[in-house]
Amino acid sequence: MTTSDVVAEYAAWLTDFLPDDYYDRYREYRWDMDLRRDHQRAAFEAGWLQPTWPREHGGRSLGLADAMEIRLEGATRSAPKMPNIAGPNVVAPGLRQFGTPEQIERLLVPLLRGDEWWALGMSEPEAGSDFAGLRTRAVRDGDVFRVKGRKIWTTQAHLSRWCTLYARTDPDAPKHHGISCLILDLESPGVTIEPIRMASISDETFCEVILDDVEVPVANLLGPCNGGWQVALSSLNHERQMIWIMNWVEIQRGLDAVRGSETAHDDDASGEVFTELGSLLADAEALRATGYRSLYNELAGRPSPEADILKLLGSLTLQRVWELAAATAGPRSIDDADLLFERQDALAATIYGGTSEIQRNIIAERLLGLPKG
Amino acid sequence: MDVGLNSGQLALRDSVRDVLRAECPPGVARQAMTDPERWRTIWKTVVGLGWTELAAPANGGDGSFGRVDLAVVLEECGAAIAPIPLLSSIGLAAGVLRVAGSAVDDLLSAIGGGAVAALAAHPPGCRLPGVTMALQGGRLHGRAVAVAGLPRAELIVTLASSADGPVAAVVRVGDGVAAHAVECTDPAQPVADVEIDTEPVVVAPVDVESALATPLLAAAADLVGVADAALASSVEHAKSRHQFGKPIGAFQGIKHALADNYVALERARGLTYAAAARLDDHATTPAAGWTAAALAKAAAADAAVGCARTGVQVHGALGQTWEHDMHLYLRHAWQGASTLGDSRALYHAVGRRAAGGAR
Repeated sequence: MTTSDVVAEYAAWLTDFLPDDYYDRYREYRWDMDLRRDHQRAAFEAGWLQPTWPREHGGRSLGLADAMEIRLEGATRSAPKMPNIAGPNVVAPGLRQFGTPEQIERLLVPLLRGDEWWALGMSEPEAGSDFAGLRTRAVRDGDVFRVKGRKIWTTQAHLSRWCTLYARTDPDAPKHHGISCLILDLESPGVTIEPIRMASISDETFCEVILDDVEVPVANLLGPCNGGWQVALSSLNHERQMIWIMNWVEIQRGLDAVRGSETAHDDDASGEVFTELGSLLADAEALRATGYRSLYNELAGRPSPEADILKLLGSLTLQRVWELAAATAGPRSIDDADLLFERQDALAATIYGGTSEIQRNIIAERLLGLPKG
Repeated sequence: MDVGLNSGQLALRDSVRDVLRAECPPGVARQAMTDPERWRTIWKTVVGLGWTELAAPANGGDGSFGRVDLAVVLEECGAAIAPIPLLSSIGLAAGVLRVAGSAVDDLLSAIGGGAVAALAAHPPGCRLPGVTMALQGGRLHGRAVAVAGLPRAELIVTLASSADGPVAAVVRVGDGVAAHAVECTDPAQPVADVEIDTEPVVVAPVDVESALATPLLAAAADLVGVADAALASSVEHAKSRHQFGKPIGAFQGIKHALADNYVALERARGLTYAAAARLDDHATTPAAGWTAAALAKAAAADAAVGCARTGVQVHGALGQTWEHDMHLYLRHAWQGASTLGDSRALYHAVGRRAAGGAR
């Protein structure tokens, strides 16, 4: 089967799945959690959820290039967003790579079907960008770890059954080497979850998770004891070739908003809009070209350092595009709730998954070889 | 779509790089600024190695050169700031002739064999390139400014209006061609204005957008090379220069500026390779090809000027001296950025089309 055949089959499946009035009422459907849950389950069953994985894990054993085209097609057609992105896109790759057969047997399918949601227990009040500085302690006591500590900015913890909890298991080791990843059942005694009110409309609510002498079975260790840093890096890197697609499509939506705006055409200030629009079109195309180039290099077995610009360029472009959309909307921008959401949502993009400042450090230190500060 | 380099292209890049490292370190550009004949020895080497043959696409076969190969070679020459008319000859002038049909085959062969050509495509008073001349009664006349490589050229390619629509017209430097050399930003790459009133050697109908796409792409590749070399110089300096007891590259003020340079560079490189692949694809429309090439040129100019300006800052007082190479990169970047459309003008043109403004 050629790539275009596979994409055509996926496109037909998606058309068949979506309600007839999906695009007419996209503004409502994008918040429709039932539709989004149904979509994830159907995508799992049809093998479109993680196309490179085998059938029993929601895929079709396709190559990376085919998977990217499918992801692009879905994103371009505004396929319903996964309700709990952390599960299928971050936890699942880590679980498949590091999980024991028992862990995979119990946890993977409910995760991929969306029946059980997952939270990422990473950030702490004193450990944000400095993730390895985390203080939550897990002390071995026979068959269990006893966990004490506090996690924060934990997205959707209040709706999740499970959490990949990163905790310090060796306080004497250098900070990157004393961390383990534990699979925490959020229904365990001693777990308190407090949702945090968000500044914008959001279905990705932050929570604070307080852990007061919580028992986690040793069998719930994900990956090696004290090997949590590698589990975290590997889970987050799995999507390295794909993350730009989400930004790219949101950028396209913003560009459409600019092009469709009445004021983008004829008034005296349109010259500036055209210049910024052209520059943003270059950013969007550079993102796409760089995403493809890095995949091409990876498939050829070559290094793909250019992939490290995707997060930084994608998130900054996303912010600029919605600011331009707001400028072209003129005073109408202040009574447009959707636009407000897009602008606020775009501001998160330079923070989650590693802030822009950290991304610049990574580029400078790992790619350009500059010394650590 | 392929948007990376295959193993053959990587080998081509490495061989060009090796030759230029040995024969043409940046100091050669400094010498060429005051010695108008300095370019000839490098040019002889380049022609001897067959790099000028990239001017024309070979007719089929596995050895045929496409625009990606052209971009690879021009990028390396840009990185070396080689003071030779390779960009003007095989990138700009031959870039137009590529889409001018079989009437120009002999001229492309001549350029492929080392004849130096220049492209006159800047109408006076315009920021964007376009039709600069008029063809009437078999005579070509008109003016163009900022013609790169003209002081070294024997052929001039230009775009002209005619009763039958736009044409590419080629003239020989000689009677009826008045070149006025200008004191330019980068004397290693001399520039002249030109006034033409003569009979052209060849005339061939062209689509103006298609004609300008390859020159824009070629200019982009050259500037990507400049950006890369300027950034590499800054990185080396940031690693070795110590202040406050550590390398200045350990400070985030330096680190983040150079990381932003890297983003600008890879943004431009991605657009350039993608535009080259797109222009080699026969299914690409003239408008789409022009847009891809224009965005690549704009991004490459931003990257080159950005990397070179940051380079001056990172090098401190050293970067303001004649003996340091950074001003050579900066001059080349500024001059290249201003020809065939500055980046703001190009972004504006693309944005205006995309917004459905007047075409």
